[in-house]
Amino acid sequence: MKEGFRQAMAWLHTWTGLIFGWLLFAIFLTGTLAYFKAEITHWMQPEIPARTLSSEASLTLAQDYLQQHAAGASRWLIDLPNAREPGLTLRWQQAPAEPGKRGQFTKKTLDPQTGTDVQGRETMGGDFFYRFHFQLQMPYPWGRWLSTIAAMVMFVALISGIITHKKIFKDFFTFRPRKGQRSWLDGHNAVGVLVLPFHLMITYSSLVIFMSMVMPASILAAYKGNAEAFFDELFPESNRPTAAGQPGQLIPLAPLLERARAQWPEGQAGSLSVNNPGDANASVVLERDGAEGVVHDFGRAVTFNGVTGELLSTTPALPVPMAIAGAFYGLHMGNFAGPVLRWLYFICGLAGTAMIGTGLVIWLGKRQLKHAKSGVMPFELRLVEVLNIASMSGLMVAVVAFFWANRLLPVGMAERANWEVNSFFIVWGLSVLHALLRRGRAAWVEQLALAAGLFCAVPVLNALTTPYHLGVSLVQGDWAMAGFDLTCLGSGLFLGWAAWKMQRAGRATSVPRARVRPVPLEREAT
Amino acid sequence: MLLALLLCYGGFTALCLSMDRHHADVLGRKPSARRRHVMKFGGWLLLGVSLWAAVCATGWGLGLVEWFAVLMLSALLLVLLLPYRPRLALSLAVLSLLASPVCAVLM
Repeated sequence: MKEGFRQAMAWLHTWTGLIFGWLLFAIFLTGTLAYFKAEITHWMQPEIPARTLSSEASLTLAQDYLQQHAAGASRWLIDLPNAREPGLTLRWQQAPAEPGKRGQFTKKTLDPQTGTDVQGRETMGGDFFYRFHFQLQMPYPWGRWLSTIAAMVMFVALISGIITHKKIFKDFFTFRPRKGQRSWLDGHNAVGVLVLPFHLMITYSSLVIFMSMVMPASILAAYKGNAEAFFDELFPESNRPTAAGQPGQLIPLAPLLERARAQWPEGQAGSLSVNNPGDANASVVLERDGAEGVVHDFGRAVTFNGVTGELLSTTPALPVPMAIAGAFYGLHMGNFAGPVLRWLYFICGLAGTAMIGTGLVIWLGKRQLKHAKSGVMPFELRLVEVLNIASMSGLMVAVVAFFWANRLLPVGMAERANWEVNSFFIVWGLSVLHALLRRGRAAWVEQLALAAGLFCAVPVLNALTTPYHLGVSLVQGDWAMAGFDLTCLGSGLFLGWAAWKMQRAGRATSVPRARVRPVPLEREAT
Repeated sequence: MLLALLLCYGGFTALCLSMDRHHADVLGRKPSARRRHVMKFGGWLLLGVSLWAAVCATGWGLGLVEWFAVLMLSALLLVLLLPYRPRLALSLAVLSLLASPVCAVLM
C-alpha cells in the first residue's frame, strides 16, 4: 500500500515535472534575474548617473520641474531615488477628456542632482525579466494564469518529490560526481532538499500573490460580485478627491517628508502622489517605501492637505491577514534584502533553476539509455531533447542576446525597447531551430559555448560602446555597473566549463557507440 | 549574518561526520558510537546557536530570513565541496568554528 502510494507520487512527479519543466525553468531563471532588476536596468541605462542625495533636495527639484512643466495636470506621481534606483522618476496624468476614462500619463526621469531631464536610452531593462517571469509576454490575463498554473504544478511537483525521495536524511549530504545518471540524480536531490525552504516559500508565496485571481470566490461572494469594492475597502487611499475648481497655492513638499517620518518610527517615504496640484482641493499622499521590512507594507500612507499642510489621515497598521499576505509578498520579492542577502536570494533562485534543469535531464537520460544501443531515438524523446536544449542553453543565449541588443541597437532607433525584447525572442526561436538541425550533444555544446562566449565578452562590449567600463566603474565605486560586468564574466566562465564538460562526456560515450553502430547495419543488410 | 554562517557550516559538518559513510570518506575510518553521538549533538547544538545568533543580530523577522539563507547556503557549500575537496571542507569547518568566538566578540 505504502509503496503503491510512493509509486503514484513518483509518477506524478515525473510527468508534472516534464510537462511544465521547460516553462518553469524559464520562469525561475528570469525570476532569479529579477532580483537584480534595478541593477540590470542601471547597466542597460548607463546614462542615468548613480548618485545618492537627500530625498528633500530631490523632492524640491521635482516640485520645481513639475510646477513648470505640468502645472495643469490632475495628478503628479514622484518616485524618490534610492540606493538601487538612482533616477528621480516623475509621472503626471492629465485630466481625462471624458469622465470615467483614464487620463494620459507622461513620464520623465530627472538627474537628482541637477534637476535636468535625463535621456536614458529606451529600454525595458531588468523590468523585462520581472514582467516575463509572471506574464510570459502574453496578453493580460493569460500569461498570469499560465504562470499561476505553473506555480501550482511546481507545488505539486515539490510535494510529490519530497514523498518520492526515500532517503532525505540519509542522503542529505550525498553528491557523487562523475557517475553519469547517478550524479544527475544526486545533484537534483541535493539542490532540491538543501534549498527546500526557499523552493516551498517561493512557490507558495507566488500563489498568495495571485490569490485574488486564483480564488476569487470568497471576495465575489462577500462583495456581491463586485471585486472593485473589495479593493476600495482594502486600499482606501486610492480614492481620490475631486478638484474644487478654485486655484490654490501648493505648499513646499520637502518638509512633508520629515513629518511623514514622524509617523513611521523607522520608515521613510518612497513615493509621493499629489492630487489636483494648484487647486484649492489639493492633497499630498506620501507612501512608505514598502521595501523596509520583511513584511511588505501594502499602501501604508499619510495624507496631507496640499494647501494648508494639515494632516488629513494615516492608514492604520496592517490587520493580521494582510500582514501575513504582506509577509509572503515581501519574502517572494526580497525588496528588503541588502546586497549580501540579495546575492543569497540569487543563489537560491539559481539552485531552483538547476533543480528543474537537472530534473529534465534525468527524465531524458533514463529513457535514452534504452535506445543507446540502436542509436535511433523515437520521435517523442527527440522532441523532449530539442525542448530541453532550447529551453535551457537556448534561453541562456537569448538572455545574453538581450544584453547585446541593448548595447548594439542604435540609441535613436524607433521602438528600440521593443526591438531589444524582439531580439531576445528571435534568438530563442533560432535556438529551437538549431537544436532541431543538430544532433543532441553537438547542439548542447554549441549553444553553451555560444552563450559562454557572448557572456564573457559582455564587459568588452560595454567598454567598447560606453564610457562605463570596469576600469571606470570599479574606481568610481559604481558596484551595480561593475557587478553586472563581473557577473556576466563569471556566468560566461561557468557556461564555458559546462560546454567543455559536455563535450568531454560526449567523447567518453561516443567511443562505445561507434563500436555498436555497425551491428544494426549488418542486421539490416541481412 | 557572518556568525550565523560560520556556526551553520560548522554544525552541518559535524552532522555530516556523525554519519558512518561520510566519516569514512573524509577521515578514512568509521566513527565510534560515542563520537557519533557527540557529533550529532554538537551539530544540532551549533545549528540552534546559529539561529539564536541570527535572531539576536537583526530581530525575528529579518533574522529568521537570514538564518534560513545561511542554513541553505552552508549546506550547499559543504555538499559541493565534500566530493571534490574533502580536506578543504573539513578545515573550513574547523576554521569557521575557531573564528566564530572572534566574530561574536567583534559584533
